[in-house]
Amino acid sequence: MTERERFIKALKREPIEGHCPTFELVFFLTLEAIGKIHPSQQRFDQWNQMSKTEQKLHIDYIADCHIEVAEKYYHSAIFVHPNPWGYENIVRLLETIREKSGDKYFLMIHGDPTFEIPNGENMMEFTERMYEDEDGLKAEAQKRLDDRVNLAEKLAKHNGLLDGFALCSDYCFNVNPFFSPSMFSEFIAPYLQKVIKDYRDMGFYSIKHTDGNIMPIIDQIVECKPDALHSLDPQGGVDLAEVKRLYGDRVALCGNVNCGLLQTGTEEEVIADVRRSLRDGMNGWGYVFCTSNCAYTGLPLERYELMNRIWYEEGIYK
Amino acid sequence: MSIYLEISENLQKGKAKIVKELVQKAVDDGLPAAQILNEGLISGMTVIGEKFKNNEVYVPEVLIAARAMNMGVQILKPLLIEDGVQSTGKVCLGTVQGDMHDIGKNLVKMMMEGKGIEVVDLGTDVAPETFVNTAIEQNCQIICCSALLTTTMEVMADVVKCAENAGIRDKVKIMVGGAPVTEDFCNKIGADKYTSDAASAADVAVALCR
Repeated sequence: MTERERFIKALKREPIEGHCPTFELVFFLTLEAIGKIHPSQQRFDQWNQMSKTEQKLHIDYIADCHIEVAEKYYHSAIFVHPNPWGYENIVRLLETIREKSGDKYFLMIHGDPTFEIPNGENMMEFTERMYEDEDGLKAEAQKRLDDRVNLAEKLAKHNGLLDGFALCSDYCFNVNPFFSPSMFSEFIAPYLQKVIKDYRDMGFYSIKHTDGNIMPIIDQIVECKPDALHSLDPQGGVDLAEVKRLYGDRVALCGNVNCGLLQTGTEEEVIADVRRSLRDGMNGWGYVFCTSNCAYTGLPLERYELMNRIWYEEGIYK
Repeated sequence: MSIYLEISENLQKGKAKIVKELVQKAVDDGLPAAQILNEGLISGMTVIGEKFKNNEVYVPEVLIAARAMNMGVQILKPLLIEDGVQSTGKVCLGTVQGDMHDIGKNLVKMMMEGKGIEVVDLGTDVAPETFVNTAIEQNCQIICCSALLTTTMEVMADVVKCAENAGIRDKVKIMVGGAPVTEDFCNKIGADKYTSDAASAADVAVALCR
């Protein structure tokens, strides 16, 4: 069974043997880990000026970067970062990864059309629109949805290239979601539900990510029927065992290893947290082991490697 | 219903235009600007702040109320200056060096302004020296540091050290907050107060300014 097949079984909450699958939504520490610059840290201002040969070399580099990280840490899935973004570049990068690694890995790209927490500069403007320009905001939400679905339709024509989408719009702070449950049901849920349905109809899987305390809106998110929920942020008070108890029969779960502890906790605390995540997540099926966010810039690599080592030694279905 | 209560209730609903009209009416009726501010606007924002702390309202509801408050304050500001009314206190606020996140900081600013505190917003990616120099130059009673990242929150310790080195530590309180920050961390670095949400930060700032 390939890593891709194992990952898909986890998304389907089916029994698997051996290791519980693992991946990272983003693994930023590539320079330290494998000596390559992470794709999102690279700029290609002169992309269109480059010859096809030069572009191919960059695409090879990015593909190698993704594959080498996956190989080094036994990841089952790769969240591919096409850079520059755009249909043609996405296809070329995915094809290159497939050429180099076959069907070994589950490949996903960004695919979330829904609004996320606005930044500090535009949050007032966004809020005003929710109150005073509902129709305009909904028209924008629909346009974003249509654009994503159109891209997915084009990608779906490339059989066996892409497996799914990571839907990465963040909705929640540590204390609460940005959107009240009623705002979420009006401005987010209908579009989230539709995009996931359309992706599924095209044969794609959907992994819905958001940081923070998702509990006030988790019912609505699960109702949108993503294949998996990602991050399950303990810093937002999300309890993996409780989410598993409440929703484990409807959605696969990914994450929950406390990123705060990875950064600032003692080794003993990190090990205990990894073991807790493995115990609570692997209880039953449908769990993908990973951090509660990503291996972010500034995280000590040795802490990620400690987490990965504990998973390798102990994250095995018996 | 008193006009103060009307202002407060409309502010809580985010009815900015109505708040503006009511504040203007109160001014035209000869009511004292300080009283309109305290019993109308600040009273309304205090209710919203409490509800936010108790998870009864969400950020957009706070923002829309803050917008209504600002509309009212714009009318009152020249009158308050004319009457020599002092703000509740003065703080400088920013997201620490290396960190570009501004949502939490902006919420704290709104909540503090909603309590009548004057806020010097230093923005994001603020160096420790900038916090300290601003506090000295602008006579701030509190330095408020925000961080979203575990990798940047350590800069808060540098702000504390910088304030010590500048010899203002006994005059200026230091508050810290942000997603990864905890009470233990606050104590470890020698800051004065940690709060877990924007409304609590405003309450604590009012208490420290008194």
